[in-house]
Amino acid sequence: MTASADNDKKAIIVERLEKRFGEFTAVAGISFAVSAGEIFGFIGANGSGKSTTIRMLCGLLAPTSGKATVVGYDIMTQTEEIKHSIGYMSQKFSLYEDLTPFENIRFYLGIYSVPEKEWQQRISWVLEMTQLTAEKNRLTGELPPGLRQRLALGCSLLHRPPIIFLDEPTSGVDPLSRRHFWDFIRQLAAEGITVFVTTHYMDEAGNCDRIVMINEGQIVASGSPVEIIRSACPGKPDADLNDAFIELIK
Amino acid sequence: MLASAKKIRAETVLSADDKKNGFLSLFSVSYRFAATEAVHDVSLDIEKGNIFGLVGSDGAGKSTLLRMAATLLKPAVGSITIDGLDTVADRGEIKDIIGYMPQSFGLYQDLTVEENIDFFMDIFGIYGAERKARKALYLGFSNLLPFTDRPAGKLSGGMKQKLGLACVLLHEPRLLILDEPTNGVDPVSRREFWEILDKMREGGMTILVSTAYLDEGERCDGIGLMHRGALLETATPAEIRYGFPNLEEAIIAKIGDVDRDLAQSAFNVKKIPQ
Amino acid sequence: MKTKNIKAIARKEFYHLLRDFRSLYLAFAIPLLLILLFGYALSLDVNDIETTVADREKTDLSRDFISRLEASPYFRIVENQDNIKGVIDALDQGRARLAIVIPSGWTADIRADRKSTMQVILDGSDPNFAGISGSYISSFIARYNANLLADFLDRHGMQRINPPVNPQIRVWFNEEMESRNFIIPGIIAIIVIIVAALLTSLVIAREYENGTMETIRSLPIGAGEFLIGKAAPYFLIALTDVLIAVLMGQALFGIVMKASFGLMILSSSLYIIVALTLGLLISSVTKSQMTANQMAILITYLPSLLLSNFVFPVSNMPVVLQAITKIIPATYYIDILSGIYLKNLGFAQLWPDLLVLLTMSSILALLNYLVLRKEGF
Repeated sequence: MTASADNDKKAIIVERLEKRFGEFTAVAGISFAVSAGEIFGFIGANGSGKSTTIRMLCGLLAPTSGKATVVGYDIMTQTEEIKHSIGYMSQKFSLYEDLTPFENIRFYLGIYSVPEKEWQQRISWVLEMTQLTAEKNRLTGELPPGLRQRLALGCSLLHRPPIIFLDEPTSGVDPLSRRHFWDFIRQLAAEGITVFVTTHYMDEAGNCDRIVMINEGQIVASGSPVEIIRSACPGKPDADLNDAFIELIK
Repeated sequence: MLASAKKIRAETVLSADDKKNGFLSLFSVSYRFAATEAVHDVSLDIEKGNIFGLVGSDGAGKSTLLRMAATLLKPAVGSITIDGLDTVADRGEIKDIIGYMPQSFGLYQDLTVEENIDFFMDIFGIYGAERKARKALYLGFSNLLPFTDRPAGKLSGGMKQKLGLACVLLHEPRLLILDEPTNGVDPVSRREFWEILDKMREGGMTILVSTAYLDEGERCDGIGLMHRGALLETATPAEIRYGFPNLEEAIIAKIGDVDRDLAQSAFNVKKIPQ
Repeated sequence: MKTKNIKAIARKEFYHLLRDFRSLYLAFAIPLLLILLFGYALSLDVNDIETTVADREKTDLSRDFISRLEASPYFRIVENQDNIKGVIDALDQGRARLAIVIPSGWTADIRADRKSTMQVILDGSDPNFAGISGSYISSFIARYNANLLADFLDRHGMQRINPPVNPQIRVWFNEEMESRNFIIPGIIAIIVIIVAALLTSLVIAREYENGTMETIRSLPIGAGEFLIGKAAPYFLIALTDVLIAVLMGQALFGIVMKASFGLMILSSSLYIIVALTLGLLISSVTKSQMTANQMAILITYLPSLLLSNFVFPVSNMPVVLQAITKIIPATYYIDILSGIYLKNLGFAQLWPDLLVLLTMSSILALLNYLVLRKEGF
């Protein structure tokens, strides 16, 4: 298989991506690739460079150097195409608290330029998928975190993007809702949608196919969760990603 | 005379309840924010020298509970006592024996590490040789001694939380109340943070901490599981885990038992319309 | 009340202040700028009125009239025109604000002791200015007329008639009638309101916004200690600014206090405290720096500028506004300062104003304390 054919299967390709803010280096020349249909986890603490990286990949921030493509579009020169081709969900920030779920969905339909004749169908789909049909006229701010999370996820899928970016999607959500959430993510991935997740919960990272661990702007580990644990903590069957991270930092 | 009258009232309440009285006790505590009941009828006893973890999602009522214990909110129903003192009637005295760390960084970003510490030292009246000694001790624990001149805003997430901890520890409170102190912090700093907590417990301090990390829950002597304002269960991690492969599974099951709606509301997996 | 708590809060507040460039700018640069600006550039006096003259006669007599006009400090001839059109252009384009047209036949009429007319045109776009310049030119012409009349009587061997009523006009208090003398007290009041109220309106809101209010409330600090500690650094700065303003007024503009310096300090301190408590109250109520800032400008700065009798005389205002001026602290402070600067008044005359300020500060402080306690302090 030629390199370009191989790369065709890649939803995201990142090469030596760097971002500096004045003297501070937020992202220090990282490289990785994500295959289509993969659940890919970007794991790191607050301030590790996660948010900066995801903003660059979504076309919201220009890198200082390096390059990357998202579903074939260049993040430096084709940011508008990227924004129309991705779904983005941030649990804390995606939704308008003083609008109802119905109004939030309508808003996103407009933003993503979904043709109006498809609106009815999509609205029903999201409301049923998230089981929010009964709640569709309550204010979003009044819904518990688990339901808000679903709605945000639903809104990010309205235009059927090939890839979605989920920024800390399960923070503050109860374990039961989290489990439902991950079941759904796996369903999406099975249909060929690439899922790029960031989180600081190491144990959640276990849900991903492959992950990259980032600390202070640099990648400290990459591979599947099991591989990483095994190579960082050989001989410790109970080790988890927390242990692996601590070993790798030393 | 007034002080002792208050004390008698607290003691009467305790004995009337016929409970094993903890160092920190909550008696049927409830709190409302406008229309929602943030905390509903919570009763709890925490023994001296224990680390007690509150686990639950956002909106479960953990922060509200902690703030009531820290005298920042008055319970609408019920009462809270710390070492026999009531959080409402004996508010002033309680503030001297507790240390509270709020959820977001509650220190001054434009002041240096040392200036932040000095502020707390001033408030608690710790001067001279004693101040020097405690600075060395608590900043030492937190590995912040090399950074005393750095503005707090320029510290990393982990360091900020450790500074916050140093500030609430330096007056050597008997009860430490921490609201999700390690949220978003890297694993190394989190582990160091908990090592400090263990050390404090060894010294006899009682600690009430809320956390979203289940591995931290495992390190506690007791856990309280909160969901939608109610305290579902209080037990040791081992007891809660009993019968399940791990703590997470146990909690998922217990939430599912109580919240039928949530249990059944899996995402309705339909194919995305073409 | 524990002084150690007050000192702890005050010390912390000083650090914040010293590290916030914007606050320092407000605290020192703006007062200095205001004094210089208002003192030098702004003058409510009317002098050197730009005048244009169209002399259709060009005789000895008309040139004599024009040179007397030029000699007066009130008029400055900027252009000589040949005709009416030139005059109209000059007024339209604002090159002149007063125009005089000496018509044909004027000289002949005067020499023949006949009545004559002279056209005077005023720029009325600023009515205050037009009123004042109108009266200046009228009195100038009246004096000219009086000279003509005296000359007429002399030529006809008649005795000069002295006007029956001779007004003895003396100006008390501001003898030179320098508006600057009147402005400096007003400036000081504005400076204090900016420093003491605008700055403090941010400080409590800032604690709420940063989340540090939670921390403070969990510490053994009382609401009263908190307020005093917060106010202390700004009190010192405001007082310093007042002293600087007094010194600059003296050094640069020669404006000297006629009454007691001690009274000045006392009244300034009281006024500063009113401004501080007002600012802190706004901060505690709004809990948002942006809202606090806007509210402070609306409630403290604008009324102090517009409704304190500083620039616009209160007696000209509608009754409703006049009533409002009674609750504006700056009104009383400016009254006191004018008394000290211009009238050499003492405590015996000014105590009512001082009492009002004292009452205002007590009420505001109490309100602030109650607001904080209600918020759970």
